[in-house]
Amino acid sequence: MFDTAIIGGGIMGCASALELAEAGMSVALLERRFLASSASGVNAGTLSLTDVRAALVPYALRSVELWRTLSERLGFDIHYREIGSITVAFNDREAEVLRERIAAKAALGIAVDIINAKRAREIEPALCEDVKLAAYCAEGGYANSAATGRAYRLGLIRAGVTLHEQAEVTRIERNGDGFVVSTANGVSLNARRIVLAGGSWLGGLGKMLGIDFPVHWRVSQVSVTERMKPSVSHVVSHAYGLLTLKQSDNGTILIGGGWQGKGDPERGPAEVLPQNLIGNLRLALQTIPALQGTRIVRTWLGLQAHTPDAMPLVGPIPGVENAFILGGVRTGYTCGPYVGKLFADILLGKEPELPLFHAPFNPSRFTAPSGNERLALTA
Amino acid sequence: MSACDVIVLGAGPAGASAAIEASKAGLNVVLLDAGAAAGGQVYRAPPGSFRVTDAEAMGPDFAIGDGLRQELAASPAKCFFGRSVWHIAPGFVVRAVFEGNTEVYEAPTLIVAMGTHERVIPMPGWTLPGVMGLAAATILLKSQRILPGENTVVAGTGPLLAAVAASILKGGGKVAALVELSTRMDWVKALPSLISRPDLLKRGFGWLGELRAAGVPIYRGHALTAITGDAEVTGVEIAPVDAQWRPLAGQRRTIAADSVTIGHGLVPSTEVTRLMGAKHEYRHEQGGWVALRNEDFETTIPNIFVAGDGAGIAGAAAAALRGRITGLAVARRAGRKIDASRETTLRAQLGKAERFGHAISDLMQARPGLIETMTPETIVCRCEEVTRADLDSAIRDGARDVNQMKAWTRCGMGPCQGRMCGEAAASLLAAVQGGDRSKVGQLTARPPLRPIPYEAIVGQFDYADMELPEPQPG
Amino acid sequence: MGARRIEGGIARPAPVSIDVDGQSIQAFPGESVATALWAAGIRALRTSPVSASARGIFCAMGVCQECVADIDGRTTPTCLEPVREGMRISLRWNRP
Repeated sequence: MFDTAIIGGGIMGCASALELAEAGMSVALLERRFLASSASGVNAGTLSLTDVRAALVPYALRSVELWRTLSERLGFDIHYREIGSITVAFNDREAEVLRERIAAKAALGIAVDIINAKRAREIEPALCEDVKLAAYCAEGGYANSAATGRAYRLGLIRAGVTLHEQAEVTRIERNGDGFVVSTANGVSLNARRIVLAGGSWLGGLGKMLGIDFPVHWRVSQVSVTERMKPSVSHVVSHAYGLLTLKQSDNGTILIGGGWQGKGDPERGPAEVLPQNLIGNLRLALQTIPALQGTRIVRTWLGLQAHTPDAMPLVGPIPGVENAFILGGVRTGYTCGPYVGKLFADILLGKEPELPLFHAPFNPSRFTAPSGNERLALTA
Repeated sequence: MSACDVIVLGAGPAGASAAIEASKAGLNVVLLDAGAAAGGQVYRAPPGSFRVTDAEAMGPDFAIGDGLRQELAASPAKCFFGRSVWHIAPGFVVRAVFEGNTEVYEAPTLIVAMGTHERVIPMPGWTLPGVMGLAAATILLKSQRILPGENTVVAGTGPLLAAVAASILKGGGKVAALVELSTRMDWVKALPSLISRPDLLKRGFGWLGELRAAGVPIYRGHALTAITGDAEVTGVEIAPVDAQWRPLAGQRRTIAADSVTIGHGLVPSTEVTRLMGAKHEYRHEQGGWVALRNEDFETTIPNIFVAGDGAGIAGAAAAALRGRITGLAVARRAGRKIDASRETTLRAQLGKAERFGHAISDLMQARPGLIETMTPETIVCRCEEVTRADLDSAIRDGARDVNQMKAWTRCGMGPCQGRMCGEAAASLLAAVQGGDRSKVGQLTARPPLRPIPYEAIVGQFDYADMELPEPQPG
Repeated sequence: MGARRIEGGIARPAPVSIDVDGQSIQAFPGESVATALWAAGIRALRTSPVSASARGIFCAMGVCQECVADIDGRTTPTCLEPVREGMRISLRWNRP
C-alpha cells in the first residue's frame, strides 16, 4: 500500500513525487510512456518570468528559485541558464499590449523594466532595428527540457519513489478509502490517495473516476536551427506571447511561441502545420535578423494540457475522497517545481506558502458539486 | 501550387518505374527527386555535362539506368529534379525546396520511393576524412568518376564490397584489402536463394576473380576495429569475429591505407511514412523498420503507397518491379484500364527477384556483436559527437527508447537527423533488452525532412503585412 | 595529394575555375563541388562544431551533412552541388 500514487510523469507529477518521497511518504509514480516525454520534455524550455500569465507570477517567481538549484538537487545537469529575458514590440498596438502586461506583472513583484529601442539593442545587440519598445527582466532564463526526464528519473529513484514507466493506467477502482490502480502492462497497486497528473490525458483519467474534466490540449510547435556562432544572449519574446527564442550553449537557436500543430491524446502530436511554422519563423526572423542564412534542422510538436480558462487545475477532486488533480497549462513547466512543492506540502499536512487549492485553480470551478454518483466503481 | 493525380517521391528504379507505369496508364504524374537525374543511388547517372564515350566501361548498371532514364523521359510523367521534399501534409500537399525556394505540389495519391541509406556501425577513427560509406564510394566511382583514394581498404558486408573493390581496380586505384564480416560459409548457406539470379551471381564471381588476379588480400570473417591516423587516414586495424560478429580479443592486424570505404548493409528510408503516421514493423532481414503494406503496396494510410527498397531491402531489380506494380495498381484503382496479365507476370518476376534480394539483404544485416567495435571513446553521433560512453551512461540512467535516448544525449539531434547514428544507438539500446530492436522504437519523423535554408521556409515577407494571431492569454 | 579522376568511359567538359577560400581551383562543370575539392587534395572539408575535428565526404548523397560548406553565401552540402564557373566556396573551419 503506497501513501500516494501519482499518475503522470510530467514535471508536475515528478516534482510532487520528489517532495513527497523526500518527506518520507511512500510514493508510486505511473507514467504511460517515459518521464517528461510529452509537454514537459518537448517544450522550448523557456523559464522567463515575463512570459508567465499574471495570476501565475507569484508561483513562477518562487519556482525560478527552485530551478536555480534543481540540477544539483536531482543529480543531473538540466542546463538551467539565468540569462534574463527581453520582450519586444514592433508597432504602437504591440507596444500598448506590452506596457499593459508588463505593468500588471511588475505590480506582482517581477523586476522588469520597460526600455526604449536603443537600450534594448544595447542589452541585446541581436535585436532588429525595428523594435519600437521592449521590456527587460534580468531574472529567469531557460533550461534544457529534453533533459527533464533523465534528471527527475535519477532524483526520484534516489528519493525512493517506485517508478513504473511504459505503464498506461487503464483502471482506477475504490478499495476502502484508497484505490487500486491498474495498468496496461499488468501493474496493479494499492494507494491511500491518488493524484491525477496526466496532462493532456487528464480527460481520460477523470472518466475512470466518473468525472468529466474539461481538459483539452494544444499542440505546440517548436523549431531548432543548426549550430550558429553565439549571437543571442537572452530569452527573446514578443509582446503577444507568440515568440520565444533563445540560443543554447551548443549554438542552436530554439524557436517557439505556442504556434499550433495538430494532434490528440490518442494519436499523439501528429502534424506540423506549415502556415504556423512559417508564421513563427517569420516573427523570429523579424526579431533576430541573424537567423538569415541558417538552416532549420527540425520542428517538433508537443501536446500541452489546456483548460477553458487557460488556468491550472489543482485540488481535491469533488466527490472523490482522497483523489486529487494536478494539471498545468501553458508555462506549467516554469511553475512545475514550485507547484509540486506546494501540492506536496498540502498532502503532508503543512500550511502551503501560497494558496494552491483556491478558486482560480480549483477543479470545482468546472465540476458540479453533486458527488454521490461519482466513482460508481465503489468496491 | 501544382495539382496532379499522383506524386511520386524519389526517381530511383522504384519511383521512376512507378511514374512510367502510372503515367502511361493515363494518370497525371509528378515525379520529384533531389538528384539531377533519375536513377537513384544505384543507377546514379554521371553529371549531365559529362559525355559517355564508352558505355561498356561504365558497367552494366549504367546501361540499365540509362534505359530507365530514356523510358521515363519518353513517358508522360512530369519530372522535377533538384527538389528536396521537406514537408507533406495529409491530402497530400508536398513542399519541396528548389533553388532556395519552396514549391508546393498537390495530389490525392502519393507513391513513396525514397530508397535507402547506409548503415555504418562505428569504430574508432570513422570520422576521419578519407573514410566513407560503400554507397559513397560507389557514387564517386560510377557517377563522379573519381577514386575514393590511392590505396583503399574496402570493409563491411554484402556484395557491394566486391563491387566497389573491383571498380577501384578498374579505375586504376589500389585496394589495400577487402575485409568482410561474412564468412565463406555464410555465402554458401545463402546460395540456394541466390541461384535464382545466375546473372548476378556470375557478376559477383567475376568481381572476386578480378580481386584475386590483382592480388588483393581478402579477409573474411573479419571486422574493422579501428581506423588510424591523426588528421587523415593512415591505416586500419582488423580482427577476426565470432558468429555474432563480435571482434575476438588479441588478434589484431594492421593494414596501411590512405582511405577506407565501409558499410554494414542498407536501411530503408522511412521518414515519409513515419511522418505521415503509417504503421511500421521491424523486419531484420529487410533492413529494419518497414511500412506495413498490402499487396498493392498501399500503407496503413489510405492512398500512400511505398515502393522499392524503402519498403524493405530487396535490391534494385525488385525495386523496379515493385515500382511498376505499384504504378499499375494505382492506375487500376483510379479506374484506368491496365493490362492485367502484365501485372501478373510482373508479380511473378518480383517473387523471384525478392527471393534473391532478401537473401542478399539478410547476409548484409549487421549482427549484434558488431556493436563491440564501438569503444567507449568512439563517436557514435557524428553531428553532436556523442560517444558510446555517453550512450551507455544514458542506458544506465534508464533510457530504453530511441527518442528518449535522443532527448537525453543529443544523439541524432544534429543535421543528419539521426540517419548516420540511429542504427548504432538503437542496437545499443536493444542489446540491453534481449536484442529486440522492435522494443526500442523508431525515431519520430518531423519536418523538415532535411535541413532546409531558413529563407526557403519563410519566403519573402513584410512584417507590416503579417497578420499575427490573437495575443496569447497574458 | 588529390584523388585521381577516372579517365575511362566519359569525356569531361572544359574545366573552369572555382574559388575556395580565395584560392582558385580547376574543376569540371557538373561534377560535384565535393568531387572537385577531393580531386584538388582538399579531403578535410570542414571542422566539426563540437571538437573542431576534421571531416570529409562520408555519404556523398546529401544525407550525412558532413561535407557542408558555404557556397555563394548559402549553407550547402557540397556533394549535391554541381560545379559552376566562378562559384565561391568558403569552407567551415573552426566555426560553429
